[in-house]
Amino acid sequence: MAPIINQIYANFLEKRINSAKTKTEFYDNYLPIKLQTLEEKLNRKIEIIRLKHKQKLLALEIPAGIESDYLKENYEAEIARLEEKFYWKQRVVKASAKRKGEEAATKLQELDKEKNIKASEIKNKYYPEVSTDAKSNYEINQPILIQSLNEKIDKLQDSHQEKVENFKNKTKKAVEKYQDINNNLSTKLHEITKDKVAKYSLEENVVLSLKSLSMHFGGLKAVDDLSFDVKEGEIFGLIGPNGAGKTTVFNCITRFYKPTYGDIYFKNIYGEVVYLNDKLVHNIIKEGIVRTFQNVEMVWELNVIDNLLVAAHTIYRSGFFGHLLNSRLLRQEEKVMRRKAMKILADLGISDYQYAYPYGLPYGILKKIELARTLMANPKLIILDEPAAGLNDAETADLAKVIKKIRDEYKATIFLVEHDMGLVMDICDTVCAISFGKKLAIGTPKEIQNSKVVQEAYLGGE
Amino acid sequence: MFDTTGFWKDIFIFILVLVVVYTLLKIFVLKYFKNKDRAKSIGLNIALVIGIVYLFFRIFKVIDDNFPDFSTMFMMTNIVNQALQVSVLALATTGIVLIFKTSATTNFAQGMIATFGAFVAAKLIQYFTLNYTDLTVTNMVFLAMIGGAITAFLFGIFVDAVIIRNSKDKTPIGKQMITMGLVLVLAGAMPLIFGKILLPIPKMSYEPNIAFKLFGIDLFITVHAYYALIITVVLLVVLFSMLRFTKWGLGVRATASNELVAGMMGVNTKIITSMSWAIAGLLGAVAAVMLTPNATNVTVALMTPTQVNAFMAAILGSFSSFLGPLVATVLIPVLTGLLSLIVPLWQNAVVYLFILAIVLVKPMGLFGKKIAKKV
Amino acid sequence: MICRTEVCKDRKARIKQITNHPYFGFFIITFLMLIVQLLRAAGVPVSNTLVRAFGITMIYIIVALGFSILLGYAGLASLGTAGFVGIGTYILGYFTKNLEASVFIVILVSIVGAIVIGLIVGFISLRIEGMYLAIITLGLSEILNEVFKNAVSITNGTNGLGLDSQLILFKNLIFIDHNTIFIVTAIIMFFMMILTLNLIKSPTGRALLAMRNSTSAAQAMGVSILKYRLMAFIVSTVYAMLGGVIYMSYISFSIPTTWSLAFSLNILAAVIVGGSQSIYGIVLGTFMIFGLNLGVFQQFDFFKNNPAISVMFNGLLIILVIMFYPGGLIRLVTTTYYKLKKALAKLKTKWREYRYGSDN
Repeated sequence: MAPIINQIYANFLEKRINSAKTKTEFYDNYLPIKLQTLEEKLNRKIEIIRLKHKQKLLALEIPAGIESDYLKENYEAEIARLEEKFYWKQRVVKASAKRKGEEAATKLQELDKEKNIKASEIKNKYYPEVSTDAKSNYEINQPILIQSLNEKIDKLQDSHQEKVENFKNKTKKAVEKYQDINNNLSTKLHEITKDKVAKYSLEENVVLSLKSLSMHFGGLKAVDDLSFDVKEGEIFGLIGPNGAGKTTVFNCITRFYKPTYGDIYFKNIYGEVVYLNDKLVHNIIKEGIVRTFQNVEMVWELNVIDNLLVAAHTIYRSGFFGHLLNSRLLRQEEKVMRRKAMKILADLGISDYQYAYPYGLPYGILKKIELARTLMANPKLIILDEPAAGLNDAETADLAKVIKKIRDEYKATIFLVEHDMGLVMDICDTVCAISFGKKLAIGTPKEIQNSKVVQEAYLGGE
Repeated sequence: MFDTTGFWKDIFIFILVLVVVYTLLKIFVLKYFKNKDRAKSIGLNIALVIGIVYLFFRIFKVIDDNFPDFSTMFMMTNIVNQALQVSVLALATTGIVLIFKTSATTNFAQGMIATFGAFVAAKLIQYFTLNYTDLTVTNMVFLAMIGGAITAFLFGIFVDAVIIRNSKDKTPIGKQMITMGLVLVLAGAMPLIFGKILLPIPKMSYEPNIAFKLFGIDLFITVHAYYALIITVVLLVVLFSMLRFTKWGLGVRATASNELVAGMMGVNTKIITSMSWAIAGLLGAVAAVMLTPNATNVTVALMTPTQVNAFMAAILGSFSSFLGPLVATVLIPVLTGLLSLIVPLWQNAVVYLFILAIVLVKPMGLFGKKIAKKV
Repeated sequence: MICRTEVCKDRKARIKQITNHPYFGFFIITFLMLIVQLLRAAGVPVSNTLVRAFGITMIYIIVALGFSILLGYAGLASLGTAGFVGIGTYILGYFTKNLEASVFIVILVSIVGAIVIGLIVGFISLRIEGMYLAIITLGLSEILNEVFKNAVSITNGTNGLGLDSQLILFKNLIFIDHNTIFIVTAIIMFFMMILTLNLIKSPTGRALLAMRNSTSAAQAMGVSILKYRLMAFIVSTVYAMLGGVIYMSYISFSIPTTWSLAFSLNILAAVIVGGSQSIYGIVLGTFMIFGLNLGVFQQFDFFKNNPAISVMFNGLLIILVIMFYPGGLIRLVTTTYYKLKKALAKLKTKWREYRYGSDN
């Protein structure tokens, strides 16, 4: 009985630990966004205060005859507005004259006279008779105003600094709290599991291991006793003729099918080796495995960014009620996630399609969006289902570049199922060839190319 | 009315026993089977059959407890009395399954189209009664039935060829909604067209009941129900023969399996689907004409209970075959009839729950086949 | 109006901020609903039927909102709505009359009951796909209808259950003024619309849409089909039961024939005709299916004497919308709106050319 309870408790602790890790990640991601928002707010407030100060100063400058830049600006703006107004009045006169076939010269002259009167009015407004009283007034009050302005700005900046410090402290405290929780729980977990040897282990740099995988559909052996290892950070290709069972293999990995026989081990994003056969299909993404679909599966009712956000679904911490009430946490998380999505789209070069709807977009772009979607959930292993299908040579070359870029920048292992030999031989580090569910050969692309067994299966015996 | 002590307790205990035995067998015996899924499915089927058989026996016991001398006769009479309901239900269900298989639509308007045919038939009877007084009742009803059937046949073609063919939304859900809309349209249109005058349809025959012996028991069946059974059997046999042996039938089965591919193979799917709607309408109208005499007059809600039962039968027997729903078609009215002795007023609810329970255990129905999806 | 000064521009921006806020439209709709009451308060004679029409439409909007989450977002067809709303009415009736429980307890019981029922139907939906589900829920609704008719001790059977316009609030039996309930309903409707919009725009809404489009893709992205199906059913059942409770408070009478298949079909019609994925669509659809009939048609004898005509009208609407406007009439409205805007812009340029002459 006790070991079962221990197991349940251990699972519970693991979940809490992972949740704490996600929370710290969230705070780390949210901090720069919040700081940016705070700065923007500060700048806006400072702008407004400066503007008000300038206006007050203007009221002093005009009677005192001081021609500051701000005065010139306002004067020129009003003159420009006047010109514009009269320009349009001119147009009206000209057009109506044209319609009626009359001469417009007299009316235009009248308009000009009016304009000049108004222009001089404005001039007098901004450049009136200077009085010595006003001048002394100005000299007294100007430094006072400037001082009060600087005081206000300093106050604002102080309060801004305070807010920034507050927020940084809050974040630090929260991060520390979660790290504490993390440490506490980790020690507890360690105590419970210290007697247990690590349940599963994989070789040093192996990230995915299939052992004797078999998938039988009634009498049909789609996959038959298949075993291979995928090393960390490599691009692994699975090739084989149609019906060889490639799709079945990764459907088993992603738990869409439950294999008839065999074990699958995976080193997840937390560095822990898990036994995939136990996992449910919708929990695979939490371990760090993502996949693309051959028939691009988009949510047609949402735009591209929203489609990406669906993939980040498991990272959201706000629950149903948070969503129902549009809680603050949800709003913060949305900001963080949208930023992440935009960055990923930019990385792949499809930022232009951010707010477009997937309906009607070119096939190549849809494939890129699918790829972008897989990156949202911090994947460790990305399974690509015939990514080059339907792409021409140029697009395939582009795809090869993108895949390599993803492997390097996002530190993910790529598992490729493909027909296009060019792509496979070009970018894959290891290739495994299967036929009728059985493994034919595994090795570097060159080795596979030269393998007699593979040649026979593909080209028929020669 | 009926003393039913111990009935529910026995049923509950039996279900419990079945579940326990099934689970135990699953845990201990299943590993010896190579093909686990098939073994599970067969086991489930056997369990369900045992359950249903036990149910009947237990009901019989209730009758026996109450009327020890007449129990067999009581039960048999009760079952035979359902003959008309079974005929009507069989025709309605076949219509629904036919449309479902060929155009992937659950036709919620089946009952309304059938009722439309019945209204036309009733009008024809009015006309005959006034102008052809030398026709016998039986002949009148048959002629009217044919008239109503033809009308429903044409209306079915109209629905498929005009409405569904021209719709922008041809998804199954969309077509389902169209049928729901049709229900409302017809429900509104029929009172307007046919007015407020009562439109009766007499029974097919008022001759004295036919007596026959079954397992040594004297039983009676009304001539109306007798004719109904004959008509139903003939229609269904003709339909199934056509499906099995004619080119058209092959086309239907091809379209039912995969409309797109069938079209590419040269099957005229348009005609096939329209014919299916037409035949479903025809079957429904015949059923409605047979059913009306129970309620004397044709009303808008005439076929609603039958339609709901037809859906239930289709689900229970699985949409993927024709035979399955027919078995369910016999099962449901018989069970309802017997249960009306045990739980009067609630027999319909109990039967629905019963079907729900079976469907939860076997989602594809009693005879259904599980289809795996390729991703 | 072109703004030339900073002050004017600032004010305009602030107003735009309010009017563009997603909840603003809901506020306008609620306000429009309340106009009848305002007119009444101002002394304008408004017929009772008209006010009732608005009241019932508001209640059905709430029910339809829940249904749209199920149909438009989770893609699950359920015909059990009538039964669930009926249960809501009978819970209020029974608890108030026989158990003398306050309204708040009734609401609590309704929510708990809705969760239980939603769980049951949700689990059922996992075993049964698409069209079968519609039929099973139809069966469920029929069962419930039988229960309403036969459980006379609770529901008073086919004679209907009446409440004498009483509700129990804080242990006191109070007579409720229908106008007060009207206003309360309007406020509740407002909040329901806000909550629904929040849900739709949230990750939950997106998960539901993903599930609707492709269960395998959704699962691959971490959406648990079990969890979200259950959630969709529970949420929509809660809306339906609450609608029932409010209905009973407002009409104070509930009879089994109301909660029939026809009602479920009408709610379905309202959602489909209006637009199953847009809240404004739901409002529009409910008005067309229920509001028009109750408020406008019933004023004329022709329709009163031939109730079948409005039924036919609703059916025709469904068929026409599916055939020609599958996105719902709201899409028609929005496209027309944009076309009008474009046409207006064209007119504007023409007018400018006339007034100011062509640019030389």
